[in-house]
Amino acid sequence: MKSLKRIAIVMLVLCCMTSLFAQGASEAKTSGPRIVTFWSLFTGGDGEFFDAIIDEFNKTHTDIQLKNDTVKFDDYYTKLTAAFAAGNAPDMIVCHQGNLLNYVPSGQLLALDEYLKADNFPVSDFVAAPYDACRFDGKQYAIPLDVHPIIMYVNMDLLEKAGIKEIPQTMDELIADGLKIQEKTGKMGIDIDNTTAVYKAYTLTRLFFSFIYQQGGTFLTADNKAANFNNQYGYKALQALQDMVQKYKTTPAGLDYDTAMNEFKLGDAAFYFNGVWATGTLEQQAGLNFIAIPVPGFMGKPAAWSGSHTLAIPAKANIDPEHVKDILTAIDFITGHGEMWAKAGHVPTRISVQNSKAFADLPYRKGYADSAASAVAPPTTAAWDEIYGTCSDLLEYAVVNGQPIQEALDLMETTVNKIIATY
Amino acid sequence: MNSTSKTKRIIYAFLLSLLLLLWFFPFVWMVFTSLKIENEVVTKVFHFFPQNPTLANYIKAFSSSKILRWMLNSAFTSAMAMILTLVVDAPIAYAFAKIRFKGRNILFWAVMAGMMVPFQVLIIPLYLQFNSYGLINTMSAVYLPRIALPIGIFIMKQFFEGIPDALEEAAFIDGASRFRIFSSVILPLGKTAFATVTILSFINCWNDFLWPLIVMNDTDKYTITVGIANFQGTHGTQYSLIMSGAVIACIPQFIFYLFFRKKIIAGIAMTGIKG
Amino acid sequence: MIPGNKDNRDGWLFSIPFLLVFVLFMLYPLVYGFVISFFKWNVLSDKVFAGFQNYISLFSDEKFYTSLWHTVEFVLITTPVLLVIGFLMALITTSKSPLKKVAENVFFIPYIFSMTVVSTLWAWIFQKQYGLLNKVIGLVGIQPVGWLTDPNWAMWSVCIATFWWTAGFNMILMSAGIKQISSEIYESAMIDGANYRQSVFRITIPLLKPTIVLCLILQIIASFNVFGQVYVMTGGGPFGKTRTIIQYIYETGFSYFKMGYSAAMSYILFFIIMIVSVVQYISLGRKSNE
Repeated sequence: MKSLKRIAIVMLVLCCMTSLFAQGASEAKTSGPRIVTFWSLFTGGDGEFFDAIIDEFNKTHTDIQLKNDTVKFDDYYTKLTAAFAAGNAPDMIVCHQGNLLNYVPSGQLLALDEYLKADNFPVSDFVAAPYDACRFDGKQYAIPLDVHPIIMYVNMDLLEKAGIKEIPQTMDELIADGLKIQEKTGKMGIDIDNTTAVYKAYTLTRLFFSFIYQQGGTFLTADNKAANFNNQYGYKALQALQDMVQKYKTTPAGLDYDTAMNEFKLGDAAFYFNGVWATGTLEQQAGLNFIAIPVPGFMGKPAAWSGSHTLAIPAKANIDPEHVKDILTAIDFITGHGEMWAKAGHVPTRISVQNSKAFADLPYRKGYADSAASAVAPPTTAAWDEIYGTCSDLLEYAVVNGQPIQEALDLMETTVNKIIATY
Repeated sequence: MNSTSKTKRIIYAFLLSLLLLLWFFPFVWMVFTSLKIENEVVTKVFHFFPQNPTLANYIKAFSSSKILRWMLNSAFTSAMAMILTLVVDAPIAYAFAKIRFKGRNILFWAVMAGMMVPFQVLIIPLYLQFNSYGLINTMSAVYLPRIALPIGIFIMKQFFEGIPDALEEAAFIDGASRFRIFSSVILPLGKTAFATVTILSFINCWNDFLWPLIVMNDTDKYTITVGIANFQGTHGTQYSLIMSGAVIACIPQFIFYLFFRKKIIAGIAMTGIKG
Repeated sequence: MIPGNKDNRDGWLFSIPFLLVFVLFMLYPLVYGFVISFFKWNVLSDKVFAGFQNYISLFSDEKFYTSLWHTVEFVLITTPVLLVIGFLMALITTSKSPLKKVAENVFFIPYIFSMTVVSTLWAWIFQKQYGLLNKVIGLVGIQPVGWLTDPNWAMWSVCIATFWWTAGFNMILMSAGIKQISSEIYESAMIDGANYRQSVFRITIPLLKPTIVLCLILQIIASFNVFGQVYVMTGGGPFGKTRTIIQYIYETGFSYFKMGYSAAMSYILFFIIMIVSVVQYISLGRKSNE
C-alpha cells in the first residue's frame, strides 16, 4: 500500500508538471506579429549562419516573425514526408532542389507564379539556371537559396614546395601534379573520399557525374528512362578515378569524408575535391594557404555536380494570399541576404548579392562564384535518389577494388535500368 | 584459506580490474574528447589526455541550445512512460503468469509480435493516427507508443511465476478477490521486477530518437536525444561538441540508475530472506 | 492456481489496459502497414492496388537478399557472444569478489547511452586516421586498420560496439536469475567436492535455463531489428557490405518513396522472425512454461 501511495504522489506531481507544460504550449494567439513557421535542415556551422539570418529578419521586422525549427539533415525528409502525409507541414520549408520532385507531383507544394507576380517578387534578380531548376511543368515551385557545386581546393604552399607553377587543367596534368606532390613533399596528391563509413560520401559519384558532363555526355538519357554512361565518357571518367587509387596511388583507398576534409585542413593534401560548403571549415584553419576554384574542365569543358537549397511553400487548402505574401517577404529577405549565407560557403543565387561588396569582401567566395555557371543539377526523375545511392556503392567498389572498368560499367548500367523500371 | 587460493584470488581480482578498466575506457575517452578543443581532437600529434582541458564545448552546448529544456522534456516523457508502463504491463504479466484463461497463448504471441515488426513500417500509420487525435507536437505523442513494453511484460511474468501459488491460495481462502490478491499480495512482492522494468522503460523512452523527432515540431519540445543530434553539423563532424552533448544527455539517466540501484538491491535482499 | 471458474473473465480483464494501448498504437499501424504492402504507394499520392506484385518483386531483388544476409550475419555473430558475455558478467556480479558492485555498474552503464551516442563514440574510436584504436595499435607497430572501411572488418567493428553497448542488459536478466537459485544447492555441492567450474556447468547453467531461453529469444528479435548503429557507423558500407535489411526497408520507404514495397519487405522480415522465435520457443522454452 505504501508503494501505491508513493505512486499516487508521483502522479500528482506529474499532473502539476503537465499543466506547466500545457501552459507553455498554448501561447496567447492575441494580436501581435504574424508568425511564419518553417523547418530547415542546417545544423552545425551552417546552422549558425542560417540562424543569424533569421535573427536579423526578426530584429528588423515587427509585423512578421519567423519561427524556425531545425531537424538534422539525415532525418529531415522522413519527418517532412510524414508531415505532408498528415497535412501538418509548416508555412515554409527548406528543400534540396533534388528532393523537390518527391513533393511536386502530388501537389504538396504551392505553385508560386501568381503570388510572385502579385507581390512584385524580384524574379529577375535570380541567376537563371538554379531558378529554372525549380520549375516543373511550367510552374515555379520553389525559390533557390543557394547553389553548392563541387569545387577544387588547392593547397598553394604544397604546390610551391613541389615546384608546381600552374593549376592543372587536364587530367594528365592533374595526375602528374599529384605524383609530383607525393614525390617532393610526401603529402597526399589527390584528396577524394571514396567510402561511406560514418558519413555517406558521394564525392566519388559526384566527380564521376561531373566528368561525364565535362566530356559532353549525360548521366541518363534525355527522357531519364535509361542509363547513358556506359560509353566512352563513362569509361574515361571511371578509369581516371580508379587509376588515382590503383595505378598512380595519388589517392588512398578507404578514404572517408571526415579524413579527406581533415587531411586537407591540416595541410596534408594538395588537391581536394568537395562541395563549396567546406570553405567555412577550411578558412578557420590558421595557416592554411589555399585557393578555392571551380573544377577545371579536366575532361573537356568545365562542369561540376551541384546541389541547391531552395525555399518552398507547402500547399494547403484555403491558403491565405496575405499569408503567402508574408512568406514571400521572408524568402525575399533570406535570399537577399545571401552574403550572410555565403559565410557557410554556399554560392548565392541573387545577382545583386553576387555583385555586392559584402560578398566580394568574403575571402575565397568570389573565386568560385563562377562555378554556378558550370553547375550541373541531377536529372529530374523520382528514381534519382535510388540511382544515386546505388551507384555510390558500385563506384566505391569499382574504384577501391580495381574492378575491370567495362565490367563495372555494365553492372551499373543494368542496375540503374532495373531501378528506373520500378518507378 | 590456504595461500595458493589466496594468490589465485589476488590474480583474479587484478585481472578483473584490468577488464573493468578496459570496459569503462570508451566512456573515459568520451569525456576526454569532450574536454578538448576540436583542434586537439583531430590532429596529427595524438594526445591522450586533454592538453588544455576546456569546458568550452559544454558552455557552448548550454548557451547555444535549449539543452536544459530538452532534459526536462525527456525527464517528463520518460517518467510518464515509466509509470504508465507499470500500470499497463503489470496486470497482463500477472495474467500470463498466474491465470489460465482461454486465448492466453494467442495473446502472448500477439505481444511478442509487437516486438518483431520493424518500426520503420509503423511510422507513417502511427503518425497519421496521432495526427487524427490531434496529438502531434504534444508530449503524450512521445511516450504513448512506448507504454506497451513486451520486454517488461516478460520480465514481470517471469518474476510472478516465481512467486509460490501457496501465497495466493491462502489469500483466496481468506476471501480475497483476484484483484485484491494482485494488489495486496503480488504487487508488494514485485519490487525487484518493477525496479528493473522501470529502469528499462525509462531508458527506452529517454533514448528514443526517430519517433520523437518526427512527432515533435517545436524546438522547445524536443527531447534531449533529438536536440543533441543537431550538434552534428550538416557537413563534417565536430567530435568534441558531440561528445559533450552525449555526456550531458546521459547524466540524468546515470543519476536515475544509481538511485534505483539501491532499490533493486534492497528488493533482492528482501526476496532472499523470504525465499 | 486459484480455483474458480472466473479465470477467463479475469484473464482478459487484467489484459485490458495493455490491450487498449496495444490495439490503438500497435495493432492498427501493424494492420495498416500490412494492407499497404499490397499497394503501390508513394505516401503522398493515392494508393494503387498492386496485388502481390511487391512480394513477387522482392523475390528477385538482389539487394533484398544481400541486406537480409547482412542482418543474419549480425544475428549469428552477436547472439551467442552476447549470451556468453552476459552470462560471464552475471557470474562476476554474483560472485564473492570485492569488485562485484563496481563490475555491475561498469558493465551496465553503456546500456544507458543512446544508440546515437554509442555509435558516434565507437565510430570515432574506430576512425582510421585519427581514431584511438589505430593510435594504440600503432604503438606496437601495427599498420592502421580500416575498422569501418574494410569489408572484412566493418561488420565486426559494429558488433564490438554492440557488445559493449548491450551486454549489460543480458547481465541484469541473468544475474537476477542466478540470485534466485538457492545457495543451499551450491553449498551441498561444495560439500560433495565440486569445484567452481563444475558448479557452474552442473548447477548454474541448467537452473538458469528459463532465463537463458528468454534472453536468447529477446536477443534474436532485437538483433534482427538492427539498424541504427550500423547506419551511423558504416552507412551500410563499404560498398553496401553492411547494409541491414532494416536500412533497406527504411531507405525504400523514406528515400525512394516506395512505401508499399517497403511494407512488403517488413512483413517478410516479420514472418521470418516469427518463425525463428516460435521454433526456439517450442524446442527450448516449453519446459520452462510448466
